Amino acid sequence: MKRIPASLFFAAIAFGATPAFAAKGDIEAGKAKSVPCQACHGADGNAADPQYPRLAGQYRDYLERALHEYKTGGRKNPIMAGFATTLSDEDITNLAAYYASLPGTKLTDLHDRVQGK
Amino acid sequence: MTRAPLLVAALLMSLPCFAAETGDAAAGKIKAYTCTGCHGIPGWKNPYPNYHVPRIGGQNYDYLVTALTEYKTGNRAHPTMRAQGESLSEQDIRDIATFLAGLTP
Repeated sequence: MKRIPASLFFAAIAFGATPAFAAKGDIEAGKAKSVPCQACHGADGNAADPQYPRLAGQYRDYLERALHEYKTGGRKNPIMAGFATTLSDEDITNLAAYYASLPGTKLTDLHDRVQGK
Repeated sequence: MTRAPLLVAALLMSLPCFAAETGDAAAGKIKAYTCTGCHGIPGWKNPYPNYHVPRIGGQNYDYLVTALTEYKTGNRAHPTMRAQGESLSEQDIRDIATFLAGLTP
């Protein structure tokens, strides 16, 4: 592996990597790909059947990671493996962008929820 | 297609088999203390690989039970969550899932 000068590396992070990361994925293309997902995860990304997770408003990069894990077998789920193995990396990025963009009216982090309030 | 109503009826009747027994939300709140170390900080990221840890408050109960059980048994590969899952009993998992599912934004 070639060594990259540290200054170049940090410059890439400062000027390139961060904005590209933030704008990752095509929401409209993800929406078009989401039709099969809706059967279990709901038309609005909030699954009505409690055995399936809510996706609306979940972090984009977490959703992307999860789909890759279903695809590669890091997560073993026959239903999700069946779908994820048909998806390209680009499909996964777009689907994650779409579900992350939906209003997160149900999901929340645990900030101040266990102690205190 | 004429058998569709029968299929739907059969699926509906099978639902109680999937629906897990719920736990104790108050006990779950105490047991969920450790979870806040990562899931309680908005925007907190998993290192190597780098991605946000998921929002789990308000998530569906049965899914939370499945996810925690899979971390416990190793069906999901994540070192930190594997260790957490292994430390939890089935009752702990039901209690934590009940508490988490009951949260609203």
